[in-house]
Amino acid sequence: MSQQAGQLAGPSAGRLTRWLVSGLLAVLAIVFFFPMVWMILSSFKTDQAIFASPFALPTSIDLGVWAEAWEVGNLGAYAVNSAIVTGASVLAILLIASAAAFAFSRYRFRGRSMAMGLFALGLLLPLQSYFIAQSNLFTELAITDTRWALIIPYTAMGLPLAVYLLKVYLDALPEELFDAARIDGAGDLRVFRSLAMPLLRPGLATVGIFSALAAWNEFLLALLYIQDDDLKTIPTGLLAFSSRYQTDYSLLFAALSIVTLPMIVIYVAFNRHIVDGITAGSVK
Amino acid sequence: MTPNRAVAPWLFLAPGLLVFGAAVLLPMALTSAYSFTEWNGFGDMTWVGLDNYARALADPAFRASFAHVLAYIAATLVLEVAVGLGLAGLVSMRPGRLWFRVAIFTPVMLPMVVVAVLWSFVYNPDFGLINAGLEALGLDGLTRIWLGDPATALLAISVVSGWVFAGFYMMIFYAAFRQVPGEVVEAARLDGAGEWSLFRRVKVPMVRHVTAVAILLCVTGGFQGFDLFFVLTNGGPYGSTEIPTTLLVKTVFRNGEVGYGSAMAVLLTAIVVGVGLAYIGLGNRGRARAARAAAVTAAGDG
Repeated sequence: MSQQAGQLAGPSAGRLTRWLVSGLLAVLAIVFFFPMVWMILSSFKTDQAIFASPFALPTSIDLGVWAEAWEVGNLGAYAVNSAIVTGASVLAILLIASAAAFAFSRYRFRGRSMAMGLFALGLLLPLQSYFIAQSNLFTELAITDTRWALIIPYTAMGLPLAVYLLKVYLDALPEELFDAARIDGAGDLRVFRSLAMPLLRPGLATVGIFSALAAWNEFLLALLYIQDDDLKTIPTGLLAFSSRYQTDYSLLFAALSIVTLPMIVIYVAFNRHIVDGITAGSVK
Repeated sequence: MTPNRAVAPWLFLAPGLLVFGAAVLLPMALTSAYSFTEWNGFGDMTWVGLDNYARALADPAFRASFAHVLAYIAATLVLEVAVGLGLAGLVSMRPGRLWFRVAIFTPVMLPMVVVAVLWSFVYNPDFGLINAGLEALGLDGLTRIWLGDPATALLAISVVSGWVFAGFYMMIFYAAFRQVPGEVVEAARLDGAGEWSLFRRVKVPMVRHVTAVAILLCVTGGFQGFDLFFVLTNGGPYGSTEIPTTLLVKTVFRNGEVGYGSAMAVLLTAIVVGVGLAYIGLGNRGRARAARAAAVTAAGDG
C-alpha cells in the first residue's frame, strides 16, 4: 500500500530522498564519531606527530602505550573502585527500591500517600539541595575517603526513580496472582521474595542499567568526598591522571580510549536494553 | 486486617525511608538551616537571618552565573532537543541503522569527565580537531582559543553538551515516533504529504507531550550542570562560564563560606523544583484539555 502511494508520487523522487537521507545519516554519524576515532588514532602517535599532523594516521599500532597508560594512570585501581561502588549501589537500590515499591503497590495503609510524596519529591530534587550538609555529615561521621561516602549517596539518589518505575511494573501485575498466593498461605515476605521479585525481573534490569550508568559516571560527589587516590573512581581518577600528565598527550589519549572502548562494546551488545533503561525515566 | 498486616508495609518501606531520609532529606533540611547562618564549616555558627539571601540576590557574580546558565540552557535546547528531534526524524525515515545509533548514542554513556578531557583536546589551539579542520579548509582566520576566549567559551561548552545529549533526545523522540499509528502516516501520505511535511505536520505535533518532557529535562538538567564546566573551564576565562554550581562549590569548598553557599544552593533548588512543579501543573491542565479534545473528536466521529 505504502509502496504504491510512493510510486504514485513519483518513484525517482522517493528513491532520491531515501538516498539523500542515507547519505546525510552517514555524514552525521562520521561527524559524531570522529572525535572518538581521532582519540584512538592519536593514542598510537607520538606527541610530535599529534602536533605536526593532527589528521594523519598513526605509522604503527603499538598497544604498548595503552599498557603504559593503564600502569602509570592507575586505571586498574580506578576501574576496580568504580566496579565496587557501582555494584554495591545498584544491588542496594534494587533490593531497597523493590521492597518499597512492593509496599506502595500491594498495601493500602495510613501514611502511604505521604511516604510516596517524599519519594516523588526526590524525583525533582537536585543534588545541590543537599550535598553541602551531606559533605559535613560525612566528615563528622568519618565516612569521607571510604567507599561508603559514594555508595550511600548513590543508593539514596537512585531510590526515587527506581521506586517509581518498579511500582509501575508491580501495579501492572494482576491482583489475582497475589490473592492466590495468600490463599495458599504465603506470608508477606514469601509473597515478596518468591512471587513479586521474580516477576519484577524485566523492571529490575531496566532500573539496574540506569542506576549503574549513573553511579559509574558520577563526578561531583566523588570529587568532594574522595581525596585518597587509592579509592578514586574512574571519573575523578582520570581527572587526577590528566592533571598529573597534562602534556603527555598520547598517554592521555590512550587512557581515554581504554575507558571509552568498553562502553561502546557494551552499548553494541545490549543496545536495546540500554536505550530502554536510559530513556525509561523520561518517557513514562 | 490483622495488626501484622498494618506493620508489614512499613517493614518493607523502612530501609528505603531510612536511607533516603538520612542521606538526602536530613542533609537537605540542614543545608536550608545553614543558609540562615554565617559559618565556615567548623567554628562558631552565627544566625544571620535572611542576610545570605539578600547578599546572593545582590551579588553580581551570582546573578551572572544565572545569566550564563540561562544562555547555556537556551543553546542546549537547540543543540540537544531540536537536533535530537531532527535526528530522530531522519532515523525514522531509514530505520534499523544500528551503526548510526551507535555513533550518536555512545557519548551518552561516557562519563562526562572523559567527554570533557577529550573535548579539551578537540578544542586545543595547537593540535585540536576544530582549529586543524579550519586550517585544512583554508579558514585560518576563524581559528581561536575556543575555551580561552570569553566570547566563545560558553558556546564551546554548549556544543560539547549537544554532542553528548543530542543522541539521548534522539532516542526519546525515535521511540515516540514509532508510537505514531501507521494509519495516520498512511493517510497523510495518500493526501500527498512529502517526508518533510509528514515530519512537521504529523509526527512532531503527535509527539508534543514527549517534546514537553524533553524540554523539562533539558531545562532542569541545565540548571544542575557542573561536570563539563568544572573540567573544561571551571568558570573561566574571566568568569564567562561561571554557573551556579561551579560558583557555589568554590564558595563553600574553597572560600569556606558554608552559610552563603547554602543560600545559593537553596535558591537553585527552589528554581529547579519550581520549574518541575510548574511543568507538572501545566501537564495536568494539558492532559485535561487533550482529554476534552479527544471526547469532542469522538463525539464528532459518532
